[in-house]
Amino acid sequence: MKQTLKLKWFGIIFLSFLIFLPLCSANPSLPDNIKWLTNDTDPVYASENAQKGGTLRLSLLSFPMTFRTVGPDSNSSFRGYILNNQLSLTDIHPNTLNVIPGLATHWAFGDDKKTMYFKLNKNAQWSDGKDITASDFAYTLEFMRSKHIIAPWYNDYYTKEIEKVIIYDEDTLAVVSTKAVPDLHLKLSIQPTPSHFYKNLGKGFVRKYNWKIVPNTGPYQIGKFKKGKKIEFKRKKEWWGKDLRYFKNRFNVDKVLFKVVKDFNIQWEHFKKAKIDTFAVNLPKFWHEKCKTPVVDKGYVEKIWFFNDKERSANGMWLNEDKKIFADKNLRYAFAHAMNIEKVINLVLRNDYYRLEQHYVGYGKYSNDSIKARRFDIEKVDKYMKASGWQRGSDGIWTKGDLRFSVNVNYSFQEHTQRLVVLKEEAKKAGIELNLLKLDPAASFKKVLEKKHDVAWSAWSTALRPQFWEHYHSANAHKVQTNNITNTDDPELDKMIDMYRNSLDEKERIDLALKIQEKIYEIGSFVPTFMVPYIRQACWRWMRLPEIPGTRRSDGLFDPFDSSYGGLFWFDKTIYDETKKAMKTGRTFTPVTIINETYKMKTIR
Amino acid sequence: MKMRINPLTIKKINRFKSIRRGYYSFILFSIMILLSIFAEVMVNKRALIVKYEGSIYFPIYRSMIPGTTFGFDYEYETNYRDLKKKMQEQKNGNWLLMPPIPYDPFENDLREGEYPPYPPDITTQHYLGTDTIGRDLTARLVYGFRICIFFSLILLVLTYMIGVAIGCIMGYYGGKFDLIFQRVIEIWTNVPFLYVIIIISSIIVPSFWILILIMTFFGWISMTWTMRTITYKEKEREYTLAAKAMGAGDMRIIFRHILPNTVSVIVSYIPFAISSGIMVLTSLDYLGFGLPPPTPSWGELLNQGWENMHAWWIVASVIVAMLVTLTCVTFIGEAIREAFDPKRHTIYE
Repeated sequence: MKQTLKLKWFGIIFLSFLIFLPLCSANPSLPDNIKWLTNDTDPVYASENAQKGGTLRLSLLSFPMTFRTVGPDSNSSFRGYILNNQLSLTDIHPNTLNVIPGLATHWAFGDDKKTMYFKLNKNAQWSDGKDITASDFAYTLEFMRSKHIIAPWYNDYYTKEIEKVIIYDEDTLAVVSTKAVPDLHLKLSIQPTPSHFYKNLGKGFVRKYNWKIVPNTGPYQIGKFKKGKKIEFKRKKEWWGKDLRYFKNRFNVDKVLFKVVKDFNIQWEHFKKAKIDTFAVNLPKFWHEKCKTPVVDKGYVEKIWFFNDKERSANGMWLNEDKKIFADKNLRYAFAHAMNIEKVINLVLRNDYYRLEQHYVGYGKYSNDSIKARRFDIEKVDKYMKASGWQRGSDGIWTKGDLRFSVNVNYSFQEHTQRLVVLKEEAKKAGIELNLLKLDPAASFKKVLEKKHDVAWSAWSTALRPQFWEHYHSANAHKVQTNNITNTDDPELDKMIDMYRNSLDEKERIDLALKIQEKIYEIGSFVPTFMVPYIRQACWRWMRLPEIPGTRRSDGLFDPFDSSYGGLFWFDKTIYDETKKAMKTGRTFTPVTIINETYKMKTIR
Repeated sequence: MKMRINPLTIKKINRFKSIRRGYYSFILFSIMILLSIFAEVMVNKRALIVKYEGSIYFPIYRSMIPGTTFGFDYEYETNYRDLKKKMQEQKNGNWLLMPPIPYDPFENDLREGEYPPYPPDITTQHYLGTDTIGRDLTARLVYGFRICIFFSLILLVLTYMIGVAIGCIMGYYGGKFDLIFQRVIEIWTNVPFLYVIIIISSIIVPSFWILILIMTFFGWISMTWTMRTITYKEKEREYTLAAKAMGAGDMRIIFRHILPNTVSVIVSYIPFAISSGIMVLTSLDYLGFGLPPPTPSWGELLNQGWENMHAWWIVASVIVAMLVTLTCVTFIGEAIREAFDPKRHTIYE
């Protein structure tokens, strides 16, 4: 009996030790050799002339299905507007690409190459007035890993990629990646999640938070909204960040109103009636033809053509090397020389588009600008075809044995038919027959991912750094559902890609990136086509922009929220009144077309 | 052997001829089809005849002649319009004859500094202008018509063969076969076939024959009901009973006796089937689910016209062409129905 009692006591002491041990170590200390970094020296890009006030009216094609940013139906374009008002720990300067403060004022890199330390801005507050603390970042992990949010991708990412958040005190924390990666700040600069708002996540999360307005950290918050009709964002008058170096003179309009107009052409009509303030007129048809309209001619609406400089999506033709014809390198080269992209640009696209020279254009130092795409050249086609022992048949198409150089081109957008028929006619001159197969986007994508295509006419989106492994590594070749749609399988290239993936040294990575791109060019399974290195916008003249209307990385000039380049514009009340009066009396202004080439890519100057 | 024509048929034909509107439409329509068969001779980028350095070439119905043959420095197909210009400049006895419309429906006649669609222009011989990619509108219309009309004729033959056969058998044998097929057809009719085609053609790109196959698959039903009813009626008539009494087999009775007596009904449906065939192909092309580009097609032109209203010549020429064709077919249909009106020729005892 006594013995058991003793054991019990021992057990209790042992258990309490177990419980208290982690509590004792709950306040870890920062490493001694930590070197805090900040950035208050990069140039500012907002305008001193900006004035606060007014409304920006924009349109949406459809009303979002939910205000949640995770879970079912949340992945709409509207989510971007909500997320842009939820700042991250750090940001990227849109012109210099250096790290700049976000919610954190200082940051530091750990020696293990997988930890980053952050000091939070002491003034940073949630929109409901509560302070943002380090535990809100720890909660992000708990939240994103929760099964209740029904977001498997996030569950997976925040488990496999982000190891933990360490809290040192209320304003100091570290975020740890599961593995060492280059450009750590891009990965570890996570957003906070308001734990005081969600409290306990439960089974009903998806339904309960469908239309809840979550406290945020950015300059605007959703105000009134009418389901299916409109949503209004209101500027926080006393926003904690409004006087910070990179936020000053930005986010100027008091309200941003999104109206639902379900058709693109009708949105244009709304714009012409001044019910919408700005309109993206990137398409040649809009810029050249639809803009020939009285409101533009009379100078009420201004046109802006702004060149930006960022990663270009890889538009082009992807040749499937697993097909008999494209297994031969000479034939891939011949195919590239038979595509008269320049003629399409000159005569169909009004010289508005530019030739994309290779897969990785616009990645700064990571782009190999010495590579030039193979140009239309019938003599070279002849040379390569004859080198492989092919001859022109009676219809002028190359043949060899029972093979005929006739390939299917998969594509999925009606607007692209125009470009392809011109290529088809030109390719015929070079002795190559293109059969155009227009499929529904989903069906086309499926066919390509199953590697059943000859030639895929499609584009890949971009990341801040070139991604080679998914597109060109043999680990992804000859398999369905991978992004190596050319089935490129080259041991030498594999070796370089592996080295690039494993390297943490920037210089070495840049070096390798350039070599890999050369090798990809030599393999020749991608025929690059077009890039659109600019944005074109029409706006009513009362919406004003800084002298340099955008930044190097701007995707739009009237993005109201983007933490890095958004909110540079402002509303000018005097010009508004003047214009409204002029429209009544019939007074006109000189039409304005601004072309700004500050950030035009060097390669196309 | 002299062809024997049933006096009744002669009477019907005369009656048809006497309906002027239908008769002239028929002549016009036949000429259109006949001409479209030889469209290559009238609308083509290849020359009809070339006389070059003493030899004569007929480039149209043969494989392509590379430019090197006529002293150009390229190996792809000769540009005969350039060749004509060159010959006119050189004046050394060489000559060539171009078709009246010297463009084919696929080539893009693009110019520097000007963007298509180009308006109608006699000097460039684009008599109806060009479409949004600089292809000659007349050529697209003519070849589009040919594809459209033959599509609709082939579709007609196939659907009628199946529809008439099944309808006849249902009516003639009756019983379980009739019962089962009635249900099958009822179910089949409820399949929204246009949507089915749209779904299929967004997954595979339909060729001419695949499209015909799919449409036949859903199109044969319309004829069965009518055929079933008529066969039921004819089966009970004295001549059928007589044939049966004389020991004729089922096949003989169906093909020799019943079918000839239902021809007038079938014929009166044909023109409307043709016009619906044209309409279906055009609307599928309009929606972008029809024949793959760059096949010349009226539907695609209609779509271009709708999106580029300022280029009035596109929409105007397609609509006029459709109007003429469909009106012709309708007039013919009306005339046939009147000429074959059974009330005029059949005497019931």
